[in-house]
Amino acid sequence: MKTKILVANRGEIAIRIIRAIQELNYEAVAIYETPDKDSKHIRIADEAIWLGDGPRCDYLNIDKVINATIKSGAVAIHPGYGFLAENADFARACEDAGIIFIGPSSDAIDKLGNKVMARTIMAEAGIPMVPGTQNLKAGEEGLEEAREFGRKYGYPIMLKATSGGGGRGIRRVETEKELGEQYEIARAESQAAFNDDSVYLEKVVVNPKHIEVQIIADSTGHTVHLGTRDCSIQRRNQKLVEIAPAFQLTPEQQEDISQTAVQAAKAANYFNAGTVEFLFDSDGSYYFMEINTRIQVEHTVSEMITGIDIVRTQIKLALGKELLFGQDEVQLRGHAVELRINAEDPKNNFMPEGGKTVRVYRSPGGYGVRLDGFCYQGYTIPQVYDSLLVKLTVFGWSWHETVDRLRRCLNNFVISGPKTTIPFFLNLLDEPDFQAGNFDTSFLDTHDNLLNYEEDASEVNKLARLIAEIHQKGENTYAA
Amino acid sequence: MTRITQDMETAVVLKALREADGYYITNTARDMSQSDYKNRILLHTDLMAAKAREAAGYFSLEITGGASVHVDILRKQVDPFLKLELLREAMPNTMFQTLCRGVNLFGYRPYPQNVIRFTVREFAKYVDVWRTFDFMNHIPNMQAVFEEVAKAGKINEPCICFSTGPEHTNEYYVNKVQDILDVTGEDITLCIKNHGGLGTPRRIGELVDAIKQAYPDIIIHYHGHNTDGNDVGRIVEAVMNGAKIVDASDHAFTGFYGPPPILTVIQTLKDLGKTAVGIDEEAVIASSDIIKDERQHYAQFESQIKGFQPTVQIHKLPGGAMGSSLEQAVKGGFLDKMPDILHKELPKVQKELGNYWSVTPGSQILWTTAVSNVLDGRYEAPSGDLKNLLLGKYGPFPFYQPDEWIFEKVFGPDWKTILEEEGGIDDIEDMDIEQERETLTERLGCEPTEQQLVTYLQHPNDAVNFFKFEEKFGKSYVLPPSIFLRQGGFDLGESITFKDHSGKEHMLEVGPVQKNDDGETNVYLNVDHHERVYVFEPEAVAGTQVVATLSKEEIVELASVGDIRAPFAGNVSGINVKEGQEITKGEQVMVLEAMKMQTPVVSEVAGTVKTISVKVGDASRSVISS
Repeated sequence: MKTKILVANRGEIAIRIIRAIQELNYEAVAIYETPDKDSKHIRIADEAIWLGDGPRCDYLNIDKVINATIKSGAVAIHPGYGFLAENADFARACEDAGIIFIGPSSDAIDKLGNKVMARTIMAEAGIPMVPGTQNLKAGEEGLEEAREFGRKYGYPIMLKATSGGGGRGIRRVETEKELGEQYEIARAESQAAFNDDSVYLEKVVVNPKHIEVQIIADSTGHTVHLGTRDCSIQRRNQKLVEIAPAFQLTPEQQEDISQTAVQAAKAANYFNAGTVEFLFDSDGSYYFMEINTRIQVEHTVSEMITGIDIVRTQIKLALGKELLFGQDEVQLRGHAVELRINAEDPKNNFMPEGGKTVRVYRSPGGYGVRLDGFCYQGYTIPQVYDSLLVKLTVFGWSWHETVDRLRRCLNNFVISGPKTTIPFFLNLLDEPDFQAGNFDTSFLDTHDNLLNYEEDASEVNKLARLIAEIHQKGENTYAA
Repeated sequence: MTRITQDMETAVVLKALREADGYYITNTARDMSQSDYKNRILLHTDLMAAKAREAAGYFSLEITGGASVHVDILRKQVDPFLKLELLREAMPNTMFQTLCRGVNLFGYRPYPQNVIRFTVREFAKYVDVWRTFDFMNHIPNMQAVFEEVAKAGKINEPCICFSTGPEHTNEYYVNKVQDILDVTGEDITLCIKNHGGLGTPRRIGELVDAIKQAYPDIIIHYHGHNTDGNDVGRIVEAVMNGAKIVDASDHAFTGFYGPPPILTVIQTLKDLGKTAVGIDEEAVIASSDIIKDERQHYAQFESQIKGFQPTVQIHKLPGGAMGSSLEQAVKGGFLDKMPDILHKELPKVQKELGNYWSVTPGSQILWTTAVSNVLDGRYEAPSGDLKNLLLGKYGPFPFYQPDEWIFEKVFGPDWKTILEEEGGIDDIEDMDIEQERETLTERLGCEPTEQQLVTYLQHPNDAVNFFKFEEKFGKSYVLPPSIFLRQGGFDLGESITFKDHSGKEHMLEVGPVQKNDDGETNVYLNVDHHERVYVFEPEAVAGTQVVATLSKEEIVELASVGDIRAPFAGNVSGINVKEGQEITKGEQVMVLEAMKMQTPVVSEVAGTVKTISVKVGDASRSVISS
């Protein structure tokens, strides 16, 4: 009998994990809710277990997933991303049930999931954090303390109520003069709102880059990194484009931030694969943001530039194997970019196109092209899950080669039925700032021209539509 | 022997014409399309023939005007200006000619003076010869066009509309020519417009001779139709008596009602010692050879009844009206009454209504009245346009007023007062063109070009529909008739090739059609080797027709409480009331249009408008409750 592993996820990531399981010559068990009954991950898995009508609640139901695992005879669970992936209770339930959870320990998920605790651990380990002060003293003394902070780190800075939270009790201060004007008001306001007049300062990182580092650790504490990723191009904190390595950083900066990530992982006694996220300031300084304790959507780009199968490694580590490679064996070569081809209408505020049927699906191929998707011709996109159709990951020796390949691939794609992010990405690829590698988290806000494209605007497509209509109606009603 | 080319000054052209030993030919491709194919010959076909027609050396190519501007946007989905631009590129030397209905321009009703002038200015950028007529031969109706054409440095070709009968004497026409010359001066070509193809060759010869006797320097352009099969005879007599330009078209497409074949004209006159100046016979033949295979795709637009109609001498319906009247008879289910209408009622109506010229829009008035007289009783259901005619809105009756009993029948016992109060040509106020531009900008969502604005001013709703069509489907003139006019769909696997507007070559392959459970239809096409699918929503109600199904009892009941019923099936061309509006008895609520004729619908009761269930442009047989 083969070793069985249950995949507690759906969509493209389920397929990604199933493939790794099958390549290890194990059997993959899929789970699904009713709206996913036509999902491709069920067809690829060796067996599939129906959890319930959902939507979403069954994928999130710890008991049901554990029961399904026991029933199927699987020894381990891979949680993918989202759903139960960063749920410490789930990891703990696995541990309690004697099922291997493919990921870090429940304890690590717990600690790193708690922002305050994570910050404390990282600060103690000397990981750079966004500069800030302790509670400031009242009166002129506290104000002078604040001015000194401003002089040292520069403006803008945030004046935050210690007892505030959820975005309340925060003031952005642009100049030293403004600081003088705002300081006492902030204290008074804080007193009135939270019955506590203590405030502290934090530096504002203006338009940073989002840089993250893929790390892998085995149970012996042997930790390596797989280089950087630049995920700065985002829409409302949702990543759209992911690039490896973060080539706008100098090799020294890349090495430095990667080593810091390894240190951070070690400080947290981290096990298995994870991602350390940083804010990267324009002056070259960078600050710890958080550690994601799971496989990430964009892991593919790190795989492309290192040649290391992260998911396979995850499974092997979880099953008790040690890392087969040291840091010096990890080589970063070329460039990789992942584009998330979503069933969304970018022009309509990226509104999901769920409920639509994919009438035609033709995907590109060729050198340096990788597709992680679950879409097929005739597939109706459920309205109740996310809108990701397929991830296009492309490898190229140089940045320009990679961009050229991406353009070629997008042009080779034919997806009819739902609107997709493809025309938006085609526009992005031709944007000179993108081609030059000039982007940070403000990119979409400063390039609203990216939404200026016409859907199916080519003359031939318009005429083809007319011909289709003449064909369908049996006559040209516009000429009748 | 000089060929006339587009770059020549008007004076040079007129001199060449006066001194010509022989005659020139105008290829009336537009008139052929309008008369024999309901105006549907596509730009694609004209572009195919362009090179050969250019080489043929015509005086002009009549390619726009008449109803074609409207049909261009309504049925051919081509921009009437773009059409001229593309043809000009393909044929730089040939003058383009239009047919302008004077104050009615390319439509059916009088336009304001400023719209007329604006329209002529824009079209004059492409059109070199302006044939202008008025169906009442009322010269003031053509004045604005004459002036703008002269200002643009183009050639004015005023018409005398020709007909037969005791009043239509040489003396009358010779005087009419004088009236025209008084207004235009002598730098014109004069058209004898024989749109019905009326009279014998001898009659035409005499008329040409009479005019030439009176004005020896005048250049006569004879225009006729071949409805009775004898227009070549009339052309011969016209040329033998001094006409310098005649009309005919490519034999590949000649039919029954339109122009006769050019080649026949050339061959016949050659034998009589008259040469077609500037003409390359080989190119004339080549034009027809190139397009002859296209004709099959237009067969669907040919008249239901084939063959020559020598009876035109009795009913006098002009070329273009023949086909559409037969079509209407078939659709209206009164084909069996056609002989009565054409041979008895129509001649009678013509006589009763003053024996004026049966050409647009006068021919439609005669026709509609004759049909209505036979179907509803004589003058029992007069159209709005007949009323306008009787009120003198189009101009004075040329020979005599209709009898009083007709006025009484149409307007009731108070007809004299009505005639006194409402009679005569209306002064049409200038239109606020800038306001119209704003309205169009709003409807299009972008600033229109001058040409778009002109097109819009001709036919507002149809123009907007066309602009939207173009936005959605692109420039479809690139499609040949075998595609654009295809009936019954394409074959599976059929491959379709065309060049788009920018000259790029494309290949489409027809894939399967699939109907989904939800009623959606998917049409699969391989577009330049890419598979694409076009989704069509299930059709809710076929067409836009709003038909209330009522039992006979219900109709009677509704009628008794004072419903206003549409008197016939037509299109709503205007709505005069708003929901909630109080109306009085006799107030006009809407305007219906059929066969280009507008008829106001008036309320027979006073009351309040509850709902309006139609909009302008709808086909309607609905009931408006009050």
